[in-house]
Amino acid sequence: MKKSLAALTAFALGLGLPAGASAADYSIGVSNTVQGNGWREQMICAIKAQALSSGMVAELNIAHRNTDAAGQLEDIRNLIQAGVDAIIINPSNPDGLNAAIQEATDAGIVVVAVDQGVSAPSAYVLSNNQEEYAYLGAKWLFEQLGDGGQVVYMRGAAGASADSDRHDGFHRALAEHPGVEIVHEVFTGWQQDQGKQQILDFIATGIPFDGVWTSGIDNVIVDAFLESDTPLVPIVGADNAGFVGMLSSVDGLVGAAVTNPGSVGGAGVTLALNILGGEMPGEQTVLVDPALWENQSEAGMATLAAAENPNLDPEWPVSVSIPGWTDYTMEQIIACKGPGE
Amino acid sequence: MGLFRRESWNVGLLVILALLLALTKAVQPNYGAAGFEGLAQAALPFAFAAAAQAIVVIAGGIDLSIASMMAVTSVTAAVLMEGATEGQAVWIALFVLGLGAAMGALNGFLIVITRVPDIVVTLAMLYVWEGVALMILNAPGGGASEWLKALPIGSVPLPFLPESVSSFIPKALLFLLVCIAVVWFPLKRSKLGLQIYAIGSSEQTAFRTGVPVRRSKVIAYSVAGLFAAMGGLVLTASTGIGAPIPGPYLLASVAAVVLGGVILGGGRGGLIGPIIAVFILRLVRTILTFLAVDPNVTTIVEGTIMVAVVMAGGVLALRGRRRKAA
Repeated sequence: MKKSLAALTAFALGLGLPAGASAADYSIGVSNTVQGNGWREQMICAIKAQALSSGMVAELNIAHRNTDAAGQLEDIRNLIQAGVDAIIINPSNPDGLNAAIQEATDAGIVVVAVDQGVSAPSAYVLSNNQEEYAYLGAKWLFEQLGDGGQVVYMRGAAGASADSDRHDGFHRALAEHPGVEIVHEVFTGWQQDQGKQQILDFIATGIPFDGVWTSGIDNVIVDAFLESDTPLVPIVGADNAGFVGMLSSVDGLVGAAVTNPGSVGGAGVTLALNILGGEMPGEQTVLVDPALWENQSEAGMATLAAAENPNLDPEWPVSVSIPGWTDYTMEQIIACKGPGE
Repeated sequence: MGLFRRESWNVGLLVILALLLALTKAVQPNYGAAGFEGLAQAALPFAFAAAAQAIVVIAGGIDLSIASMMAVTSVTAAVLMEGATEGQAVWIALFVLGLGAAMGALNGFLIVITRVPDIVVTLAMLYVWEGVALMILNAPGGGASEWLKALPIGSVPLPFLPESVSSFIPKALLFLLVCIAVVWFPLKRSKLGLQIYAIGSSEQTAFRTGVPVRRSKVIAYSVAGLFAAMGGLVLTASTGIGAPIPGPYLLASVAAVVLGGVILGGGRGGLIGPIIAVFILRLVRTILTFLAVDPNVTTIVEGTIMVAVVMAGGVLALRGRRRKAA
């Protein structure tokens, strides 16, 4: 596949280079099924920045749209036909893509799933540990409430696998804190406007609550409290730039950010290039474990201050790089330019 | 004249499709049987959604709940098939088809009984079916039988054709054509089919000429539900699971219906046009992927094509009406 592509490129350029002569001509495909979400946009930018800084990628072919598992099967099959050397996917579902992933690996294409895992045995997985993500934040929140109280549980998108993994982690923490009750459970769909409206609606009911756990729709929740003059309660969110900034700047806000780096996309590029270069990872699945940054201790405040980055879009995670996996600069990821752009 | 125009529309669509296939081959010289098979697989759920929408639009209505019905039938099949034997799965598939027809009939009943406009009732049912799907399965899961998963994979070996030719006949395409042929062609040629076109043309005229308007409408919605169930089953077949969140099939079905020469408002068009239109729209996506077009631009191009088609279709319909008036 790669040889034919290289030959084609050489032919097109009229250079007559021997096929596969240079390592810098890989073509990488990307398939992502959520568009217009800060986290996913950062993931795409990390892929572009890492492809550029690696110097080994001639072309990125990005299929990036809002679709379902069947649509992702279509995109993966199109990328196979496009003759790419590796495909990085953020799977819409762990089990639904196996047919196309198998076709890709049968064709000699390296498949790396980032952010969420896939069950296809031939794919490599470089994923954030979503179950642990929810557990860490929920456990911290429940401890803040003194192991008892009413919690608003603001989930992600109904039916998404990252959401159901987080649901498991949330309930693991809940089981350890039997005094805590869920007073209200909603799906934000990972949409800022929707999440804000939902919390405003709930505040308007007057039902008392003691804390809010969010699946990463966080800064707008703090906004809702401030704008409606509602006394703040402890809030858990993700390491999105806007929320991280609020944790150190908003008076009276007790909260914690759990890391969930979108730059895992860039790490996926590195893993794919390693495999293409013959350097196999020890494990088929690599999990990136989250960390919790809270604003109730000096150490926590110091971590938050160091992570703060006002240059980023408020919906972008502040963890713009993953040491050991990405080597692009801050400017490169913010520029969001891939090879040839 | 109407018949001629309808066929010429389909011929026009086929010419566009052939040109796009040639363009695909030019962009990606390796594009061949495997690529065409992928195209047919990708088109499958969209084609059933378009068929479902087409029949309702021909009957003078519109069904906004198609994608949600596909989700309900897909998760139902996936839940029931998990752990079922291959033989049981056949009965499950038949049950799911019946379920789809029943859901569609319920849509139709609500429209004729309440006299609330189609668009309002089916919009409400969009949310109802979406909730039902989530109640059946709150996260993607379940399973599919092996024969169902194998259904859209591979090509059909035909004894009288060399393999180099038969590899260009994907099973997914054949399956689609068989399903459409079995349901649509007998229906279209029957009295009932005429009645469906008649109520779409003018409900009042149809009523005055003795057409059972309400019954025909309920049946049209029921057949749409049946096609939506087929769409749900092929989703389960291709992914091997059921997903409760509806995919992007609703707006795509409306786009394909319009591009396929079915007049919004009813009474004219068929199912073949919308299905060719689905292939055209999928192939556009393939070409844009091959060209590595900026993903944000891709949706603009897709949207522009749809708008252009809707406008062109409107202009043609207007000219047709003027010609008739003259």
